[in-house]
Amino acid sequence: MVQAVAVRDFLIAFKEIMRGSKKYYAWLAFLSFLILLGLSAYIDQLNRGLITTAMRDQVSWGMYISNFTFLVGVAAAAVYLIIPAYVYKFKPIKEVALFGELLAITAITMCILFIIVDMGQPFRVWHILPVIGAMNFPSSLLAWDVIVLNGYLTVNIIIVFYVLYRISHGKEYLPSIWPLIILSIPMAVSIHTVTAFLYNGLPARPFWNASIVAPRFIASAFCSGPALMLIIFQIVRKIWKLDIENRAIFKIAELVAYAMAINLFLLGAEVFKEFYSGTIHVYPIKYLYFGLHGHANLVPWIWTATVLNIIAFILLLLPKTRENFLTLNMGCVFLIMGVYIEKGMGLVIPGFVPDTLGEIYEYIPTMQEIVVTVGIWAAGALMYTLLLKFTIPVYTGKVRFWKKALVASDAMSRKLVTVTPDTTVDEIGKILISKHISGLPVVDRDNRVIGVISESDIIYSEIQRDPHFVEKLGDLILPKEKRGEKLGNTAKDIMTSPAVTAFENTPLEELIKTITEKKIKRIVIVDKEGHPVGMVSRIDIVRELEKKENKHLVS
Amino acid sequence: MNIYGKKIGLAILIALFPLVCAVFSFAESKGQEVPKKFLVPPPPFSPGIFPCSQCHKYMPVNKKQRKLEQMHQDITLKHMPGGWCFDCHNPDDRDKLRLANGKLISFDESYYLCAQCHGVVFRDWKAGLHGKRTGMWNGEKQYRLCVHCHWPHDPPFKPLQPLPPPARPADIK
Amino acid sequence: MSKIRSNPLGVKLDRRTFLKGAALGLAGTALPLNKADASFWEAFFQKHFREMNDDEKKKVIQRLEKEYEQKYKKAIHIGSEKPMPGVLFGYGLDLSRCIGCRRCVYACVEENNQSIDPQVQWITVLRFKKGEKWIDLEESEKYYNPEQVPESGHFYMPVQCQQCENPPCVRACPTQATWKEPDGIVVVDYNWCIGCRYCMAACPYGARRFNWGEPKRPAEKINPNTHYLGNRPRYKGVVEKCTFCVQRTRNGRYPACVEICPVGARKFGNLLDPQSEIRYAIEHKRVFRLKEDLNTNPKFYYFFAYGR
Repeated sequence: MVQAVAVRDFLIAFKEIMRGSKKYYAWLAFLSFLILLGLSAYIDQLNRGLITTAMRDQVSWGMYISNFTFLVGVAAAAVYLIIPAYVYKFKPIKEVALFGELLAITAITMCILFIIVDMGQPFRVWHILPVIGAMNFPSSLLAWDVIVLNGYLTVNIIIVFYVLYRISHGKEYLPSIWPLIILSIPMAVSIHTVTAFLYNGLPARPFWNASIVAPRFIASAFCSGPALMLIIFQIVRKIWKLDIENRAIFKIAELVAYAMAINLFLLGAEVFKEFYSGTIHVYPIKYLYFGLHGHANLVPWIWTATVLNIIAFILLLLPKTRENFLTLNMGCVFLIMGVYIEKGMGLVIPGFVPDTLGEIYEYIPTMQEIVVTVGIWAAGALMYTLLLKFTIPVYTGKVRFWKKALVASDAMSRKLVTVTPDTTVDEIGKILISKHISGLPVVDRDNRVIGVISESDIIYSEIQRDPHFVEKLGDLILPKEKRGEKLGNTAKDIMTSPAVTAFENTPLEELIKTITEKKIKRIVIVDKEGHPVGMVSRIDIVRELEKKENKHLVS
Repeated sequence: MNIYGKKIGLAILIALFPLVCAVFSFAESKGQEVPKKFLVPPPPFSPGIFPCSQCHKYMPVNKKQRKLEQMHQDITLKHMPGGWCFDCHNPDDRDKLRLANGKLISFDESYYLCAQCHGVVFRDWKAGLHGKRTGMWNGEKQYRLCVHCHWPHDPPFKPLQPLPPPARPADIK
Repeated sequence: MSKIRSNPLGVKLDRRTFLKGAALGLAGTALPLNKADASFWEAFFQKHFREMNDDEKKKVIQRLEKEYEQKYKKAIHIGSEKPMPGVLFGYGLDLSRCIGCRRCVYACVEENNQSIDPQVQWITVLRFKKGEKWIDLEESEKYYNPEQVPESGHFYMPVQCQQCENPPCVRACPTQATWKEPDGIVVVDYNWCIGCRYCMAACPYGARRFNWGEPKRPAEKINPNTHYLGNRPRYKGVVEKCTFCVQRTRNGRYPACVEICPVGARKFGNLLDPQSEIRYAIEHKRVFRLKEDLNTNPKFYYFFAYGR
């Protein structure tokens, strides 16, 4: 039974993935084409060996590991966004968590793909596993990386699946998954730190063997990851009409600017130390920034990266450019490009140039390497597209796995009149009569439901017109004028508060349970920000249940 | 110990110095089980030239230092300025070499001859440090005679043509 | 070691075999089927060399010998000599003697069955200028090719695996495919290496080589006397390196580079034996080790015996 449900759910989700506009199909076809190209280049590499790449003994890691390094940053940084989102109590915190985790899953998958294509003997990958293989733990930092990356991947998959499961069943999810989301933050730091240590721990490579590597990794990841997220937010907001506030986007951009400031400072610290002390460690950084013995392949790249980073820093720092979407997006794109160069090839290649015996081999990736790399990026883009395509409808409630089980939105009346706490009882009575309704929600200034008023509340308030004994006592102590409105005169005095609310995707079954248990007559339906969107009263439920085809659906 | 004790000790040591030296030199010559005979390949004679006696047996000995014209013209002695054949070769029995002390040695023991001047090198050679040794690192080793690498009449090691350099990484395809 | 459990059929499965069986089901679909004969799977699931007992080692070696024979059409012996007790190999190289003729490079290639195409060489000879900087690796030249060596004003320094006592490559390897043997030689199990090349990044001496392509060497040039951890033919996509000619030295012989060196600049022996020539070099000459500040403790000693 459980399996059947799972299969059905999968099919529902799959159907959602398959549905889309022509543009969507064109996008999928484009990505698939790139993936196939990459795959064919990889098969050629498998047959002939890594000789199809430009890597050689002198420069034994290249484009693949560079991309791996950059993507670890992306994977970690999306989750870092949860920190400001939580601290600043941003409304889109759930989106941040969800889309961030999805990005993390995608980025880690791409990381693993980049490692696999870089391996000389990919079929022996099981040798690295504990128990069945011979994992060199805790000695090898690569073993650590396998553990933290897979651990991080697992945690993120659990979070996303749990969240989607809860949403699809109309249940609240954040409180129960919150500890795991919090846990994913130090884990994000750990994948970054361990990957930095992977380089940092090699005394053979002076360029990497600097304590500043890990802090720089984290600083630059705090730039590139959130920058990527900002762009994704905007795309998601446009395509799926999700409600993400500008304020949150600008705030994140501001934080990115600060992270970039730290990144640039750390870079300065490193440049000073290497050039001023002028030990043999200076050669790689000299090669990177100025060229060495006439070899200067990386020089234009790293200066491009540096300039892009500085421009991005300025664009995101100044409120005027930060809050203009054109310049904001320019800043984000510049920053992603800048960090991609700096934390990719700009980090990996100088580790090998000059090599440990002083030889300079200028590595330029072959077309085959580039095609494989593009293929993996396309695979990542495809994965993220499909994940979003699947997730967002579930998230917004458009797709429910329990398709036929009735939910609040099926039964609710959308004819909605709200009043403020200061509306007088007389006015409310008039509204109820003129609109032919029996109750209405009371909302605060932010349009959040704070209570409910029904016919009976009004009747009750009439009965209570004669001041109560206590109130009379109060009159003696404090003159009426100073106490403001008299009890019983306005909405806030007579409303039932807090209001019993539910979401649009809350199953009808639950609503019925609540109504009978709490002996109430209506439930206000709110969206995830607490804004009222409709009401379900007892007669609405009866009406819905009377529809023949639904009879058997509520147990 | 006080400072006087040290000084006295030093004085005694200085007084005994000749004796100490003698003891050590005795140990040197007597101890250190260095085999008198080293396993070496045959000396690198030009073909047909040895034994020398096949010609010299019938020739009178001319000890006069002169330019050789009939045989061995190719030999220009670039070893030991002012040196002459009989500094090393034995005039009476040409199949032997002669040490400065008059002792005759065979050609496959020529290292004793070289050792007369190149003592430090000889010590290193005996230890296996100077020159090439092949065979077993923990067993029988074959030495090379000095003359295998250093032609005695012009000893510096002759330059070689190097084997090809490695392929450059960009050329490995 | 691993838990043994029996099933109703009475077949004993240890945990490792069990998990491998499960993995096999998965991998079966992903792998080329034409290769899926028994020996392919035997090779695929071959254990780590150090986890095999003598019987298992023998079996594996038999299979490998068969494979090599099929490939090269000649008998190839794979030894598995163990380290000798009380032996710690050390190497000495007299920089005052080396003339940079590269005889050692090619003797090593011949002895150790390195690939000719793509070219793999375990020894690198560096040329330095005499004068101001001496051993400054940034000023080294690897591709010198004069008519004759030695060239005036230059000196030469061959570099190969320094067989560190504290090897960074071993620390780095994620699968324990490379390790230090009790006689001090750092070896690689070519059937366990996954080809991630982290060891190459970790090696301060540029001593490790990767088989970027399928190693090619004509059958008639294959040296048939091999060792499992040494000079047996290698595979595409694995790392290899100098083993001090483990197939020779564990049988008491000098490494090939020592025997070829025309100037006798290369010295080899047991560091624990006070009579060995390597001990003589260390105790009597001015020795240094490359990049001593990295605390790798190489067992490869460079020395200057004389000025001339």
